[in-house]
Amino acid sequence: MNFPGSGIIKGLAVTARNMAGSYIEKDRLTTEQYPEERPTLPENSRSFPFLVFDGEDPESGMRCTSCKICEKECPPQCIYIVQDRDAAGKALKRPKVFDIDIAVCMSCQICVEVCPFESIRMDQVYELSSYDRFGALVLDKPKLLKSNAYYHGIHPTEAAETDARLEADRKKKEAAAAAKAAKVAAEKVVKAAQPEAQP
Amino acid sequence: MNCEFLKTFFTDPMKLVGEWFVILPALVLLLSTAAAVVVRNLIHAALLLTLSFIALGITFIALGAEFVGFVQLLVYVGAVAMIIVFAILLTRPDQLTKSGSALSGIGPAGGAAIGFALLAALLTFVFSSPMARKPLPASVSAPVAAIGEALMGDYVVVLIVIGVLLTAALVGAAVIAMEDKP
Amino acid sequence: MMALLDRAPVELLHWFLGVLGSFGVPAWILAIISALIIIGTIIGVFLGLFALTSVMERKILARVQNRYGPNRVGPFGLFQPVADGIKMITKEDLVPRTADWVVHLLAPVVMMVPALMVLAILPYGRGMVPAEFDAGILYFFAVGAGTEVAVFMAGWASNNKYSVLGAMRAIAQMISYELPLVISAIVAAMIAGSLSPSAIVAAQSGFAFGFLPQWFAFTPWGFAAAFIFYICALAESNRSPFDLPEGESELVAGHLTEYSGFKYATFFMAEYVGMFAICGMFVTLFLGGWQAPLPFLDIVPSWCWFFGKACFVAFTMIWVRATVPRLRIDHLLAFAWKFLLPMSFAAFLSAAAWHYAGRGPLAWLTSLAIVGIPYLVLGTAFTNRFAVSRRTYQFSE
Repeated sequence: MNFPGSGIIKGLAVTARNMAGSYIEKDRLTTEQYPEERPTLPENSRSFPFLVFDGEDPESGMRCTSCKICEKECPPQCIYIVQDRDAAGKALKRPKVFDIDIAVCMSCQICVEVCPFESIRMDQVYELSSYDRFGALVLDKPKLLKSNAYYHGIHPTEAAETDARLEADRKKKEAAAAAKAAKVAAEKVVKAAQPEAQP
Repeated sequence: MNCEFLKTFFTDPMKLVGEWFVILPALVLLLSTAAAVVVRNLIHAALLLTLSFIALGITFIALGAEFVGFVQLLVYVGAVAMIIVFAILLTRPDQLTKSGSALSGIGPAGGAAIGFALLAALLTFVFSSPMARKPLPASVSAPVAAIGEALMGDYVVVLIVIGVLLTAALVGAAVIAMEDKP
Repeated sequence: MMALLDRAPVELLHWFLGVLGSFGVPAWILAIISALIIIGTIIGVFLGLFALTSVMERKILARVQNRYGPNRVGPFGLFQPVADGIKMITKEDLVPRTADWVVHLLAPVVMMVPALMVLAILPYGRGMVPAEFDAGILYFFAVGAGTEVAVFMAGWASNNKYSVLGAMRAIAQMISYELPLVISAIVAAMIAGSLSPSAIVAAQSGFAFGFLPQWFAFTPWGFAAAFIFYICALAESNRSPFDLPEGESELVAGHLTEYSGFKYATFFMAEYVGMFAICGMFVTLFLGGWQAPLPFLDIVPSWCWFFGKACFVAFTMIWVRATVPRLRIDHLLAFAWKFLLPMSFAAFLSAAAWHYAGRGPLAWLTSLAIVGIPYLVLGTAFTNRFAVSRRTYQFSE
């Protein structure tokens, strides 16, 4: 059937079908009613960096050694690190201050790429709006430190891989240390044995 | 809703609010027309003229000529005022502020003279017509049906002639507005 | 019981006036009080309808696009208009420095007055006409003409090029569409033999074969006239697809560009009340006014039928808005002058043929031919003229 105005009738039929359909088929309504319904984020979604710690205590389990590579690499320079020092003024392998200004951060993940200690990782939080323009958007150390369990919660695959690598590194290091110790011990034995044999 | 009040309000105002219902719109009509002549701003003048059209329509209604009043509103406010406004808007702004028309040289006195001459011509014509000498009827009522019958009966030739004239004008306008085909 | 409900508004008013009268209130004060009560009720009902429509429109449009629409404020989002109203009232009222502020201030008022005044002549139910005029239809269009003045005032006083362009478009559109609108209304008046709305409703009473309502929309000429009236009503109330005076892509918001806060709300309100008024007129002229569509449905109060039908027509307007894209200005004017105007003449002739052919099967045939053939011819010519062809790019390749 093709007569003048038939196109408009076809169009009206389409809109009517959509309107009635939205009441019958729930699949049509793709809107997520946000505060009540939470989105299930894909595993690889990321927002801003955070710091991983092992075990229970954030301070002692901190992986960060304050090497400042991330601070140097950060393109918008939003990371600020001060190395901790003990009473004698000797530098310690942990940061005293670790701030990330997420108002500046562009979520590029370069800090994650460069971190040699698997300490800095990307978070999934997205409800970061606040009434405070300056303070609330600078995340300090207590806010940034999150447990390895949390990391496993948000990025399971990546966390497992990291853990495996860390474990392998640790084993290798232990093996290397053991080998070194054995070598030293062996040399000692040789040294100890030689004088007796020399004279 | 049986509301005789509103009907009386429009058709027989003497009963309710006395003569003020006729006098008020007539006053508005006079004042707005005078203001439309005096005001320098052309758009304000057009709007005041529209107001005077509205007041004239209401005066007709108040005097009992419902049909004429409504047609006055429909034709003058709906169409004529808008055409005036369109004409003003399509004129260039420098012509709006400068008074550069052909008649601008004659001055206020000349304008008044032309105006009074026109008024005198109109008045002589009105008073010399036989209608002016008829005695006023006691109550005026012009139902639409009666007007229709008069137009289609006694005055049908006039109506058709006017219709032909308007059609000719419309066709002429269309011809003028038509694009020139190459 | 049902008859009582049908007459409830009138009886209530009479009872109230009777109570007042028993206290010795003079008759002329009673007349004024009665008028004020009627006016207040009508304005209240229509503003309520406006509030309801503004939220229902958004919900319907949302559903067409498979969204939820407003559902945050109150149950199902029904209190959204309250929130909108509070927002509008508390907004800053901006007037451009170079604007003509008197005209700028008056424009929303001039817009609102005709929108409310036209409500006076609609027959809302059996014996419920606020103002019975001999020439009620004429009153409707005469008063409605005031809207054009308001649009021009708003556009010009804003001293903004978009406003002026929008206003000029709006006026061109309104004048063009007023002609077929009035002619198609006259068709109904011609068959009814009266310009009074209640007489036109009365002319559509009765049922053919005991169940078919004899509404004008169910005759060939009536259908054509109703169709033309409906399209022109869309254009007159500036609704999509004829909402290009406010086409935001080219004109910001047309004549409303420089309006904010409550003045803008007044325009908005006037537009919706005007839309409802014209829906009511459509119902009165072509859909049998307050009469029930089937004989046994007569038990439902007549005013319910009137408002039900008007709401249905308003719903179809929203439906059309959700479907049809906005027209271009030259297409719009060409459509009015080259299609709707000849078609309204055809409907006029068809109605005359219907009347003189005796309203029987022969009348059906002739009047159908008189509107059908021009529709097919003009429609095909129009479709071919504005047919969408494959676009050829000259410069991009």
